[in-house]
Amino acid sequence: MATADPIPDVTSATPQPSATLLVMAAAMPQDQFERLLANLAAGFPADTMLVATQNEFASSPFPSLRVIPAPHTNAAWTSTAADFVNTFQLAHEQNVRAVLMLGPGAGSLAPAALRSLADAVLSSGVDLAVPRYMLPPNAGLINSAILYPLTRALFATRIRFPQAIDLGLSFRMAERLAAAAQRFTTSNQADALIWPVNEAVVSGYSAEEHDVGLRALPQPAETDINAILSLVTGSLFADVEAKAAVWQRPRRLPPQRPLAEEPSRPESTAEVARMVESFRFAYSNLQEIWSLVLPPNSLLGLKRLSIADPTVFRMPETLWARIVFDFLIAYRLRTINRGHLLGALIPLYLAWVAGHINVTAAGTSSERHIEAVAAAFEADKPYMVSRWRWPDRFNS
Amino acid sequence: MLTMLAVILQSNPYEVAPPVYTDNASIWHHMSAALNQSLFRVLSLFIAVLPGILAFFVAIGIFSLIGMAISGTLRRVLTWLKFDERLARNRSNAEWTPSSSPTDLVARISFWACVLAGLIIGVAAFDTSYAAGAPLPISLLPYFTHAVGAILLLIAGNLIARFLARSVLIGAVNAQLQYARFLSLGVKWLVLVLTAAMVLDHLQVGGDIVELAFGILFGGIVLTLALAVGLGSRDLVSRSLENRVERSGERSPVHDGSASAPSETIRHF
Repeated sequence: MATADPIPDVTSATPQPSATLLVMAAAMPQDQFERLLANLAAGFPADTMLVATQNEFASSPFPSLRVIPAPHTNAAWTSTAADFVNTFQLAHEQNVRAVLMLGPGAGSLAPAALRSLADAVLSSGVDLAVPRYMLPPNAGLINSAILYPLTRALFATRIRFPQAIDLGLSFRMAERLAAAAQRFTTSNQADALIWPVNEAVVSGYSAEEHDVGLRALPQPAETDINAILSLVTGSLFADVEAKAAVWQRPRRLPPQRPLAEEPSRPESTAEVARMVESFRFAYSNLQEIWSLVLPPNSLLGLKRLSIADPTVFRMPETLWARIVFDFLIAYRLRTINRGHLLGALIPLYLAWVAGHINVTAAGTSSERHIEAVAAAFEADKPYMVSRWRWPDRFNS
Repeated sequence: MLTMLAVILQSNPYEVAPPVYTDNASIWHHMSAALNQSLFRVLSLFIAVLPGILAFFVAIGIFSLIGMAISGTLRRVLTWLKFDERLARNRSNAEWTPSSSPTDLVARISFWACVLAGLIIGVAAFDTSYAAGAPLPISLLPYFTHAVGAILLLIAGNLIARFLARSVLIGAVNAQLQYARFLSLGVKWLVLVLTAAMVLDHLQVGGDIVELAFGILFGGIVLTLALAVGLGSRDLVSRSLENRVERSGERSPVHDGSASAPSETIRHF
């Protein structure tokens, strides 16, 4: 006997085609945003991509692209903790496989560059795709002087821009970064910096670098180098301190990529002379503070520098590596107040910049000099590890 | 003549007047008795306060031992809980971070709090036993607590002066102010003078004289700094300001969407 089927027919709605890639676009001028949309439309099939933007948009000039609003953040020149948290939340909601985070000015990236980053995390199984920008020799100097050499020496990675504003993330990498960012957002520090390359190394995830050519990097609204250097360097030092158990293990560095040649820049005499003068002024006033942090050898090196002529002023790579490591040790040991410590580093950084300008003006490629600096950091890592483990052993 | 006077004064005209000078032995006897009595009073007083002194040192000793135990336990527990790492994650602002780790600070504060408690209890015990033993009008307890407060004020003022002086020095050097060291010293001495005045006022020493002297000295230092900066170093200030304006003009952000025009200026980021 036929009986009524107790289970009612459930007519399920036709599922929407789910996107595989979420593009998180930061707030940017409208013309840049439209250029970005044009590049995305040219580089990706529209049905596989979802664009989330902080820009106000009434109607998109590319109706085939799916555009949704993203929560507003204060990201102006770098991605903040809030960006990573929002990115993962949206990625989870939209059930995507990978995320492409693009910062302000991303309209200057070519479609091929965007495609390269996305393919790495979608098809090649890479968790973190970091762009390698082609910048003028006198740009991104904090990255060249401190961020890249320190990250390369400690985490054994050759990624040239560890704090890149554009990133390709796998879903699990986005989740990992969101977890790291959550610790800051829960304590009301939504603008804190996150270090994706360091997180990838600690998690054992794969990270790759992709050439993206020229890109207009947004500059911080705060033009005071003192505040920016303290913020960025302090954040990296804190991250290195938190991951001490990882970077002390020996690691093999990936093979070096061929250096991109660029024309040398003409010498900027006024800039170098001013920076050398400011270093000499700082040497005469901050020597007693530096002596609390730096060993006698480094102080002797600085003394020799202070009497060097501006035309031949150049900070040796080994001296600069030793200075950064000693400041990192002092940051950990709290030898002096951390705010004072980072403030005392600024004149030394400017002295390095003056030497770098002299080196590039003399004909040496900027990248070659930066690689030499990074190699000096690598060579001095045993000193760093020893002092980290036995801080009192090297007190003189 | 004297005999006649004595005869006139004496009630009994037939009584003989006593001799004017006494025996030497009784003078020494009186003096030694007086000295013995003074010594006896001093020794009695000392014996009366001895239990109080003993109670004072015992209280300090016991509380110091308790403080060491609490400090050691707290240090172990906070290290096990990774207190420093948790706090570092929650506080990214490096401006106010102390020069010692949070665990060290907590351990040290707990130890010295116990020592302070021992000090207070010891003084209270001393004061009680002393007041019960001898009727001296002066009580040491209020003055001693004032002295402890004054020492704490002095330490805090010294630390603040050093911190502010270093902050001003580093900030002024990075701002390329030629009078950076002078400014730093001025700030340090301002805070130290203020601290000294507060300490003397807390100890109720000097009264109005201290207040007046402080006002004159503080005002003098401020006026000197103002004159030095405003009038005496006009050229230096204007040159410093011109340099800053030139630098901020060179460092103005380039919000250029085009990536094909490399900039001549130095870009740190």
